[in-house]
Amino acid sequence: MITPGREVSGRIRLIAGVMVLAAGALIVQLVRVQFGPFAPIFAARAELQTGYLKRVVPARGLIYDREGRLLATNASQYYLEVEVRQLSDTSREAIASVVSKLLVLPFEDLFSQLERDWAAQGQLRIRLTREDVSGGRLPIAVDETVADVLKDFLNDPQAPDLSGLDLVPAPRRVYPNGSLAGHVLGFVNQEGRGFFGVEGYYDEWLSGKPITVARSSLPPEARLEPNPPAGVNLVLTLDLEIQQTAEIALREAVENTGAEGGQIIIMDPRNGEILAMAAWPALDPNRYEPWLPEEDGGKAEEERVITPAVAGQFEPGSTFKVLTMAAALDADKVKPDDIYVDTGLIEVGGHPIRNWNGGAWGPQTMVGCLEYSLNVCLAYIASEELGASLFYSYLQDFGIGQLTGIDLSGEVSGQLRTPRHPDWTEPDLGTNAFGQGVSVTPIQLMAAVGAVANDGVIVQPHVVREVVGPEGVYWPRPTVLGRPIRPETARTLTDMLVQSLEGEARFAGVTGYRLAGKTGTSQIPTEMGYDPDWTIASFIGWGPASDPRFVILVRLDKPETSPWGSVVAAPVFQEVVERLVVLLEIPPDAVREELAAGGSGQ
Amino acid sequence: MRNRRRHAQPQAQWRLRIRATSSTLLWVVALLIVGSMYLAVNAKLAQAGRQVINLERRKDELLRANASLAAQLAELTTPEQMWARAVALGFHPAGPAEVEYLKVEGYVPPTPFVAPRPPAASPRGPGALSPAYTETLGEWLARWMVATEVSP
Repeated sequence: MITPGREVSGRIRLIAGVMVLAAGALIVQLVRVQFGPFAPIFAARAELQTGYLKRVVPARGLIYDREGRLLATNASQYYLEVEVRQLSDTSREAIASVVSKLLVLPFEDLFSQLERDWAAQGQLRIRLTREDVSGGRLPIAVDETVADVLKDFLNDPQAPDLSGLDLVPAPRRVYPNGSLAGHVLGFVNQEGRGFFGVEGYYDEWLSGKPITVARSSLPPEARLEPNPPAGVNLVLTLDLEIQQTAEIALREAVENTGAEGGQIIIMDPRNGEILAMAAWPALDPNRYEPWLPEEDGGKAEEERVITPAVAGQFEPGSTFKVLTMAAALDADKVKPDDIYVDTGLIEVGGHPIRNWNGGAWGPQTMVGCLEYSLNVCLAYIASEELGASLFYSYLQDFGIGQLTGIDLSGEVSGQLRTPRHPDWTEPDLGTNAFGQGVSVTPIQLMAAVGAVANDGVIVQPHVVREVVGPEGVYWPRPTVLGRPIRPETARTLTDMLVQSLEGEARFAGVTGYRLAGKTGTSQIPTEMGYDPDWTIASFIGWGPASDPRFVILVRLDKPETSPWGSVVAAPVFQEVVERLVVLLEIPPDAVREELAAGGSGQ
Repeated sequence: MRNRRRHAQPQAQWRLRIRATSSTLLWVVALLIVGSMYLAVNAKLAQAGRQVINLERRKDELLRANASLAAQLAELTTPEQMWARAVALGFHPAGPAEVEYLKVEGYVPPTPFVAPRPPAASPRGPGALSPAYTETLGEWLARWMVATEVSP
C-alpha cells in the first residue's frame, strides 16, 4: 500500500533526479564548450556576437628632402557611411540633399543608394559612392572642411535630420609642394597604394603593416589599441631649392622654345645622389587621377610616362659622342691631338654618313671632332679605330641598354643592338657612334657620362639618402656599377670637353668656372623613319672640371624656335649652373685654388 | 548528544523558523555581497574600457589634427611661397658674382638632417594597462600567492 507521504517523496525524488541529470548535462556541456575540441570555434562565435574586428592601419611614412623639408605627409579625409537601421524617410532625403548640394553630386544617385533594402542583403552599414569618370564607382571622400560642415549638421538639432550618416576618417596623402618633384615622388591612391616614383618603389616600406584586432563591444574592453608596424620615413637626396631652380628653368625653357616637354636632371657624380629631377609637363600628385594606370581608370600606357627620367627613352644624338670618344681614348686608339681629315662623308657597311650640316670640315683634332660635333669623324673612330667588338664592349661597360637600378619605379632599359642581336647590321656601328639607332633613358646617360666626371667610376644613381624606421636609421651606401674607363682617360676627356664647350656651346659657360659638356640634337624615330620636322635638343655637362660636383642633363622635346641643342638646351644648362654654384656653395675656380693654397678667399 | 538535548528540550516552531530563515538570509546576503562586488568590478571595468576607447578616439583626433597642421605648415613654407615672400621683401637670387667666399677656421658644417623615427609597434594585448583590468580572479590569486612567497 502506498501512502500519500510516500507518493510525495517519490515525486520529489523523481524531480530531484531530473534536475540532477539536467545539471550534470549542463556541467558536461560547459566543460565541452570551455575545454573540448570545439572550444576555439565556440570562443570565436562568442567573440563575433559580443565584439567586432577592427583593421588598424599605420600612418604612411613621411618623405623629406635632404634638408628636412616635407615632401609627402598625411592628412585626413572622411568617407560617408550610413548605418541603414537608423535611416528614416526624412533622413534619407535630407542626407541625399545635403551631400548632393555640398559635393555637387546627383541627388537621384545618392537617394537610390539610401533607398535600397540593404538589411535584406545582410548589409547594415554602407559607404556612399559616386560615379567615376571611367564609369566605375568610387567611395565618396570629403576633406576636413566639408567634414566639419557635416559634423555641425549632425550636432545641430535645428539642422536637417542626417540620422544614420557617419563620417569615417581615413588617411589621405598630401604633397605640400604641389607639382614640385611630383614625377620623382609618384602618388598614392585612395586605397593607400603607391604608384610610380618613390611612392611606388618604396610602397611596401612606406605603408607599414596593417593589422586586424578583435575588440569587445559589450562590455567595452579595457585594452589599449596595439600599434601596428609603422611605415618608414624617407629622406631623399633631392634638395628642394635646387629642384625648384631646375623646374623654373625648365618651365621657362619650354615656354621660350615652344617645346612639347623636357627634363632636367642634376646628379652628384661622386656618389650618385640625384639633387634634382624636373620634368615637364608637370605632375601634381595631389591630383593624380589622370595618371593612374589604365586598369585603374587612368590614361593608356603609351600616353603616360610618369617618371620620364627613368622611363622616357630617346635617341641621345651627339651627347653620345662623349662615350664613343671615351672608348677610343681608353683603348689608346686615338689621342686628343690626333688629326682626322674630314671629307664630309664616310660609308659604314655601305651606308653613307654625313655631318649635321652636310659639309666637309677638313683636318680636325679629336677636340675639333667634339667641338664641331662631326658625325663622320666619330663614325670613323667607331668603325675603323675601335671596331664593333671593342666599341660595344665599352658601351655595355657604360651600362647602355641596361637598367641602372635607380630606386624609382618604372625604369626601362633602353635599347642597344650589338652584333649578337639578330637585327644588328654593320651600318648600326657607324650611326650608334653619334647616338643614332640606340635608345637610352636620361638616367642611363647621366650614369654613363657621370663616369667621365668621376674619374671613370660609374656610381648607381639613387634618390633615397636615409631610411628611418622604428629600429633605427639606415644610410644606403653608394654602389659602384663599374669602371669602364681609366681615371686618366676620364680627365683627358674632361679637358677635351672643356675646350669643346668653350668653342661649340659658348652659351653654356659660366664666368669663373671651367665646365665640360656636350650638346646633342637627335632625330625622333617614327614608324615611317625619322621625323623630318622635329628634334630632341639636349645638353649634358659637368663641373667644376677640376673637381666635379654636379652633372646636369637638359633635354627639350620638339623645340619650335630652333632644333639645335647648342641653341636651346645649352643656355638652360648655363642658367641652372649659375644658380647651382651658389646653392651648393661652390666658389669660382680661382677662389678655390686660392683657398686650397691657404688664402682667405675673396 | 545534540539529539538527546533536542529530545530533552523540544524547540518551539517559531524558533526553528527563525533559525531557518536567518540561515537562508545569511546565504542570500552573502550572495548579494558577492554579486554586488562582481557587478561593481564589472561596471568599473566597462567604465574603464569606455574611457580607454574615448581616449584612443581623442588620441586619433589629435594625431589627425597634428598631421593636418604639419601639412599646413609645410604648405606655408614651400620654396614657391618663400620665393614670393623674398621677392616681395626686395630680395633677388644671388648670382655667382655676388657671393663672397671666406675661409673660416674651425667652421663645422651642419650635421645632415635625420628624420624622426616612426612609432614602434606595440604587442597585441593589454599593453601598458594595469593587470587589474584584465586578469581573472584565479590569475589575481596566483599572482598574489607568488608575490607573497617571494616577499620576505
